[in-house]
Amino acid sequence: MKYIFLSILAVTIISCKKKNDDDLAFQLTYPSYFPTPVYEFENNELTKARFDLGKKLFFDKQLSSNGTISCNSCHAQGHAFADHNVSLSEGVNGVIGTRNSPSISNMIWSPSFMWDGGVNHIEVFSVAPITNPLEMNETMSNVISKLNNSSEYKNLFKIAYGIDNITDQAMLRALTIYMSMMVSCNSKYDKVRQGKVSFSSDEADGYELFKQKCASCHSEPLFTNYQFVNNGLDSIFTDLGRGEITFNANDNGKFKVPSLRNVELTYPYMHDGRFWSLNDVLDHYDHGIKSSSTLAPSLQNGIPLTVNEKTKLIAFLKTLTDYDLLGNSLFY
Amino acid sequence: MKTIKIALFAFMASTLLLTTSCKKDEPTPNTNGNGQVTVNLNHHWGMGTDPFSLNTTYIHPMNGDTMTFSTYKYYVSNFKLKKSDGTWWVHPESYFLVDLSNTSSSSLDLGAIPNGEYTELSYTLGVDSLKNVSGAQTGALSTANNMFWSWNSGYIMIKAEGISPQSSTGNFAFHLGGFSGVNSTVATKTVDFSSNPLTITKDKKSEIHFNVNTAMTWCTSGSCAGTSSVMMPGAIAHQMATDFHNGFVFDHIVE
Repeated sequence: MKYIFLSILAVTIISCKKKNDDDLAFQLTYPSYFPTPVYEFENNELTKARFDLGKKLFFDKQLSSNGTISCNSCHAQGHAFADHNVSLSEGVNGVIGTRNSPSISNMIWSPSFMWDGGVNHIEVFSVAPITNPLEMNETMSNVISKLNNSSEYKNLFKIAYGIDNITDQAMLRALTIYMSMMVSCNSKYDKVRQGKVSFSSDEADGYELFKQKCASCHSEPLFTNYQFVNNGLDSIFTDLGRGEITFNANDNGKFKVPSLRNVELTYPYMHDGRFWSLNDVLDHYDHGIKSSSTLAPSLQNGIPLTVNEKTKLIAFLKTLTDYDLLGNSLFY
Repeated sequence: MKTIKIALFAFMASTLLLTTSCKKDEPTPNTNGNGQVTVNLNHHWGMGTDPFSLNTTYIHPMNGDTMTFSTYKYYVSNFKLKKSDGTWWVHPESYFLVDLSNTSSSSLDLGAIPNGEYTELSYTLGVDSLKNVSGAQTGALSTANNMFWSWNSGYIMIKAEGISPQSSTGNFAFHLGGFSGVNSTVATKTVDFSSNPLTITKDKKSEIHFNVNTAMTWCTSGSCAGTSSVMMPGAIAHQMATDFHNGFVFDHIVE
């Protein structure tokens, strides 16, 4: 009972600074069983004005070179802020990227960003899609000059950050504030954990299986341990993954363990979007593991699963869908 | 009663001592004002006196390559001056992007420096590791300067681009970065001028001159026929940055 009571208590970050009424109602909330976020809002206090500015930027196609793509194009709320069920995302002029666009919810808990962990801080994360020729294909200096040519943006940045000339720092921080509010913590799993509802018997069995067979990498409550792992997709790597960042052959073929929150909605799966269903993914772990020198030791023999076990695991994974986040009017 | 008096005296004396010692710990009030110091970078090509500038064709003195530069940019940061009493004056937010397309960027203004006698200068070639991992920055460190790797976070410490007939593509592009481990392209250097200290007095303008031999960057890596492009951290970037650092040499002080 005590455990349940503690779980229900939400952790709230409240700043000491005086805030206006808007901001008082505008706080980051997450369950007590979540860890402390990596991002500490240092020099970037959470305010409504900054959130609203970040939201405008997130939806603004001006951030791409030809005005056709926004952040929202590939990170849509209805898909838990992943892309619209495509393997690889389309950039400007229809060019296709090289990796699947993942969910960007719960990013403030992540110690690194991108499938290969190449980006080391959430504030500079947005520079990558904005400047990638296969994505938004724009330069940061152009983005800043476009924003500075808009009296509306100048006014919004003045209100949010107190600056007369818009800087990339303020723009990136506003986007960070917007993304920081994409907290997924109200799934059925969470409600069960908080004692509000119960799992069905399949879900409960699936949860037990999950804890035995999956949780060493997809650790609760964020359902990832943020490590880089070769999960046996290929024997020969066309994408070196983590190895492209560390230049260490021992990291070739490794990718960041993705969170499984909202996994029901974020198909297709893996860094290249090769699997279209959760069943395909479980089949891969059951009998599809390909051997290579960097394969995770725990996957050398795969993860044997019966048909019945797969059904139950999938029933559990679907309890990670957060309908509150999908319908949260803050984001539309 | 006597005991109390002695105790009271001892207490007052210790308070007085404490007060005095506290005062001693405070920085000496600057009653004489500040002077100004700029660091002037004189770029040249090779060991001679050839001034270095963009859009000029040079022959590399060691590998014989013909090189014409469209870009030469690099970071210098964290200037500190050591006083003769051993304390350091630290230049706040000390980040400079030297860009050969903008001549004024070769003159680094360290701002107002308290009066005194200074014996040593410390500076960092490149951007310290902390700023590479601390999120979005401004000024010289803005991502809008195109000196930041988006896909593998970190600053490009030195960027040299241009054309060379020795390169198989006709172009060269060296983006030298990496801030950690054995292949770091960041180095902190000191210059000791204690034998002839720099004296800063009110309103005095002083200049610290460096000669920068940009050709040094290729003294080990060799001809563009071999390597004409570096775009990631690693051993080559480390070697080329180290060679560049060795070409960044203190020359003299103008008081």
